[in-house]
Amino acid sequence: MQLTRWARAGRYGWPALLAAWCMAGVLSTASASEPMSVQYPVAPQGSHKGLDVPQPIDFPHDIHTRDNKINCLYCHSYGRQSNVAGIPPTSKCMGCHSVIATDKPRIRQLTEFWEKKQPIPWLKVHDVPDFVHFTHEKHLKRFIFDNPEVMNNLSVDTVAPVCALCHGDMRAKTVAKKDKPLTMGWCVSCHEKNGGPGDCWACHK
Amino acid sequence: MMNLKLKRREFLQLMGWGTAGATLAGCDLPTTVTLEEGKEEVVAYHSPEEYAIPGIGVWYASTCMQCAAGCGIHGRVREGRVLKLEGNPDSPVNRGKLCQMGQAGVQGHYNPDRYSAPKLRQGDALVDIGWDEAWKLIEEKTGTQAHLDAGSLAWVTGTLSGHQAALMAAHLSAMNGKHYGCEVITPAVWEAVNKDLFGEAMPRLQLSKARLVLSFGADFLGTWLSPVHFSTEYAQFRKAPRGILIQVEPAMSLTGANADLWLAIRPGAEGALALGLAYVLAQNGAAVPEALQGVIGDYAPSRVAEITGVSETRIMQLAELLRQHAPSLVLPGYTAQGQTQGYETTAAIMLLNVMLGNVGQTLISAGEFPFPQLAAKSGNTRDLLAFADAAHNKAHEVVFFYGVNPVFTAPAALNLADRLKNIPFKVAFTPFPDETAVLCDLILPVASYLEDWGTHAPAYQPEGVIGLQQPLMETLYPGTPGLGDALLRLLKMGDAAKYGAWNDYYGYLKQAVASLPAQYRGAGQSDEAFWQSVLQKGQLKVDVKGGALQAKSLGGLHFSAPATGGDYPFTLIPSPRLSFWDGRHANLPWIQEAPDQITKVVWDSWAEIHPVTAAKLGVEEGDVLEIASEQGAIKVKVFVHKGVHPHAVAVPMGQGHEEYGRYARNRGANPLRILNPVTDARTGELALYGTRVKAVPAGEHRMLVKAGRDNISQRGRKLVATISAEQFRRTEG
Repeated sequence: MQLTRWARAGRYGWPALLAAWCMAGVLSTASASEPMSVQYPVAPQGSHKGLDVPQPIDFPHDIHTRDNKINCLYCHSYGRQSNVAGIPPTSKCMGCHSVIATDKPRIRQLTEFWEKKQPIPWLKVHDVPDFVHFTHEKHLKRFIFDNPEVMNNLSVDTVAPVCALCHGDMRAKTVAKKDKPLTMGWCVSCHEKNGGPGDCWACHK
Repeated sequence: MMNLKLKRREFLQLMGWGTAGATLAGCDLPTTVTLEEGKEEVVAYHSPEEYAIPGIGVWYASTCMQCAAGCGIHGRVREGRVLKLEGNPDSPVNRGKLCQMGQAGVQGHYNPDRYSAPKLRQGDALVDIGWDEAWKLIEEKTGTQAHLDAGSLAWVTGTLSGHQAALMAAHLSAMNGKHYGCEVITPAVWEAVNKDLFGEAMPRLQLSKARLVLSFGADFLGTWLSPVHFSTEYAQFRKAPRGILIQVEPAMSLTGANADLWLAIRPGAEGALALGLAYVLAQNGAAVPEALQGVIGDYAPSRVAEITGVSETRIMQLAELLRQHAPSLVLPGYTAQGQTQGYETTAAIMLLNVMLGNVGQTLISAGEFPFPQLAAKSGNTRDLLAFADAAHNKAHEVVFFYGVNPVFTAPAALNLADRLKNIPFKVAFTPFPDETAVLCDLILPVASYLEDWGTHAPAYQPEGVIGLQQPLMETLYPGTPGLGDALLRLLKMGDAAKYGAWNDYYGYLKQAVASLPAQYRGAGQSDEAFWQSVLQKGQLKVDVKGGALQAKSLGGLHFSAPATGGDYPFTLIPSPRLSFWDGRHANLPWIQEAPDQITKVVWDSWAEIHPVTAAKLGVEEGDVLEIASEQGAIKVKVFVHKGVHPHAVAVPMGQGHEEYGRYARNRGANPLRILNPVTDARTGELALYGTRVKAVPAGEHRMLVKAGRDNISQRGRKLVATISAEQFRRTEG
């Protein structure tokens, strides 16, 4: 699958850069030419008035996704296989930013972390308690990879609404902010509407 | 590589073969756990390994160090942290299984009471100092300019093997120092007997091939030699045709609880029973070994019944069972070895194997371990006594402690805490604030065994194997060296030219593996590929040259009957457990919380006494007994059950810490404290099970907390189907 190839290309510097450019180009044309006809799951009700969390680098999700059409899963690539979607390793950022926008203050900050070999101390925004077994892998399988509507029109604009169910629309944000309650009742309401498992052991195991 | 000009032989000697993980970034210390936004850090990798996926564990092979058995382990590592340990299926020692001590290893590693920085004694206080300062101080005290006399430096350790042992031997030889290997749970007496009788200390036991096992307190499923290995052997032994297990001991062990027939024996009378069995076997035509010829005449079953408390008919039955079920296997446990005549008792038991023709059948040669420098040096109590003497005689200027806590394990009669004051410079290489460490002048926190490199050749070798230990994560506290790193650093202080070639112990070990003879690696395998394959498997199989095991003649043995009655009517059994071991695991909450295998007690100590004894003393469960020997007294709650001889009081080893962190401190009582410092005459080993005590009710009652109270009675609910003992004997022989 194409997505796999993009995701894996990430750590190889130049090829990654090319992939990112190609992807942005190809996908933006694709989404512009075809009208959207994607069936999304029924979103759970409820919202959360999140705090503004100052991050070590004021990362602009909007520039990456809205403007440059980079797929969420390009950076948060672990979600396909793992419980967590993962914060991308600095090496992945540098795959592009060793040449793109190197003079911008935020990229200078990034480069400094990279050169000092320091991991970036991002602050966690979205979390569930340890007694909840939440896995990105199962949710992405159900709503993205097993969903032909998304897979046939794969782009940031078809994927981001799926992520938005829990994270809010990241195309409209700079750094992450918690928009959804992520409480049990809220999770259950989504499971009920969309046919997710209803037994206690599915999440509390 | 190396710039040194060494002959190949010297080089191999240096690398320990003399004849006879991955760095993980993004690893932060746990700070806060909260669901609040922006409070917890979520640190991404800088540049991850290809296979590192957050949320998905990778398993690495290493070797367990919770006891000396040397089981192979697999550790699950996720986001740079080790989270779970399991047995390594490739290991011939444990074949994929792991006991509860091994499972609890992560709690030692993440223990909140670990030292994070070196500490120096200033008066009564221990103050934090930097690593540079600590190493400088050691160099001042032990380096060439310190001009230490020969013999004035000593290492006190537990059982050691592998390349760490080789490096320690090199350090000791460079410093002209002395080594004390101290362990209280030790097969030292058995090893001495085996050496005299068979010419090798640890023959191999073929439990699975025996049709009957007669064990004199050998708790091979719990605490004896290599319990996880013997558990898999035991499973084979119990497969059809089902082997019979008979256990004779003063207090029931885990193995005793699994036996077909469990017999309580008067403490110290194991030798008499063995001689009684030899008497009956001889009458039935078995050849009598020379050592027993002048002895067994006095041990007719009727007299043996008097000495041991095992009835005459039972003795005849045992002898008959042994005769009918060849090959059998007769094993001496710690209670049989830890007597004032432990050597004779153990010899009598081992000679039964000779009389029964088990030698060469169920008892075979373990072969010659090809690398004697790496072979295990079993710790023992003779060294503990010798160290206490040396401290008393002010024999040492500098003493290094590693993996050992003699202040806790030594009987109070040795007065070790006071005697340590005679040693001007004591250094504890330990992660934990144990009783010995807090009395030292300098504490150098070393890496936990899950952070360290090493090789381990278990003393009991099920087949020729050296376990490889690799770090399962980066050190939690920067600067903490592994034992090998510390030894290399010490060696460089003396001879920088010889040991300067290696930056760290990892480099040394890697080169050591590369320098193995070609027969150990695949055809055309490069050094790196070979090293990776050893890391992947977590072990190295080594060729042991096997011969036939043959019994030699022993000199004459002399026996006397065990003491009875007097001012001290009971014998104290400080029983080892597959939990606290000798006390080293009392700081692991999982171990404290796990119900004892026999009594189901948690987080406490207890004294097992027989119902008859309890009635005589007028006590019941939870009443506090004062148990006193000539050397002192401990207070312990009573646990009444029938799995203990009426003449014995059994108190588990390992509790009663005064230090050793929040989970261990001030909990229960330490039976080792009140032992009489009496020894086995032949080996000089402490007679751990030879102390006579009296028991007096202290007039207090406190609840004994057990998992599943009243678990011994089923209250008529038939939760577990039972048959009468009479019926059982008819069906199970």
